[in-house]
Amino acid sequence: MITKERVESVLARVRPFMQADGGDIELLEIEGNSADVRLTGMCAGCPSAHMTLYLGVETALREEMPEFETLRLR
Amino acid sequence: MTTSTLATMDSVVVGRSARMRAVFEFLRVIGNSDSTVLVTGESGTGKEVTATLIHQSSRRKHHPFVAVSCALFSETLIESELFGHERGAFTGAIKDRPGRFELADGGTIFLDDIDDVPLSMQVKLLRVLQNRTIERLGGTRTVPVNVRVIAGSKRDLKQMVVDGKFREDLFYRLNVLPIALPPLRERREDIPMLMDHFIERYFRRRGEDVPPVSEAVKQAFLRYGWPGNVRELENACERIAQTCTCGTVRIGCMSASILLRAGGPPPDLSAVAPASAPARDTAHAPTPTPPPAGAPRAPRDTTRRPPPGTLQPAPAR
Repeated sequence: MITKERVESVLARVRPFMQADGGDIELLEIEGNSADVRLTGMCAGCPSAHMTLYLGVETALREEMPEFETLRLR
Repeated sequence: MTTSTLATMDSVVVGRSARMRAVFEFLRVIGNSDSTVLVTGESGTGKEVTATLIHQSSRRKHHPFVAVSCALFSETLIESELFGHERGAFTGAIKDRPGRFELADGGTIFLDDIDDVPLSMQVKLLRVLQNRTIERLGGTRTVPVNVRVIAGSKRDLKQMVVDGKFREDLFYRLNVLPIALPPLRERREDIPMLMDHFIERYFRRRGEDVPPVSEAVKQAFLRYGWPGNVRELENACERIAQTCTCGTVRIGCMSASILLRAGGPPPDLSAVAPASAPARDTAHAPTPTPPPAGAPRAPRDTTRRPPPGTLQPAPAR
């Protein structure tokens, strides 16, 4: 089952680096087997950052939780 | 050849770590030798670059350097590839074709992935190394070849001999001058220098100014395990140069898969940052907090971290 805690545990692996760069990745909500997140800080408006984080974090979430479906960046 | 020439010739062997200095020193010592060299190292550690350096510093430097991966060919094709064939030797052999040994005549042949050569082929290779002659497939003529041999292996050939997978006589024939290239995780102090080098190379290649790199990115590079060694680090830097448009290399510019596997206690970055590259972008670069103690680790995390305090600046040459 997709829980906030399990998603947060994956986000916690990238968060220290993002915070060190003045940004963050914020979990907004879990909806079924998907999650909505928001990037804040310097990388928030950067299309490259969206692509790399989107691909990397979504893959990691699926490794942790095979039932995980979609990571949505808002 | 001086050590500094070596360090500027190609970055894959850039480094000031004790391990790399030992490699440079050995390369300097064998500079004028014509003996067979066996370069061992994991994938991405720079075996071919090392072979190129050896060739370029040898008396043979004005003659061909021919590199061939023995892993690329099937058992029958490799013989034709290395020794050549005569017309009609097999279906599809429509004309005479010289092999790589003949093409390298006067120069150096780099036989990479020698650990992938099947046993049946090893005996043929041994004969070539002993007699310094080849016979083309389907040919009757014995052709003398004047070639210096450098072999590359990602596996420990001595262990393969013990396991019966590699001929002992061929091993001794190859292992005259052994060079062991360390994996990047065993020379972490070289990571900042390699990162600077490749970031600069790939931004310059795009015709762009080299932007500053945030401390968070440097930390991630230092903590990651780099299972693909220098090749993987180079690839990560090329990617950054292709995607970074914000004037500073930040976390968002780099591969998240590296970030996800770079967790762990922060090494003391100040001890390894080159003095010539003062930290810029300090406004956004507080020290990252380590992940919580119980944070799950990536399943394929191959990071091997040195104990705290082992990263020391190398003395300037």
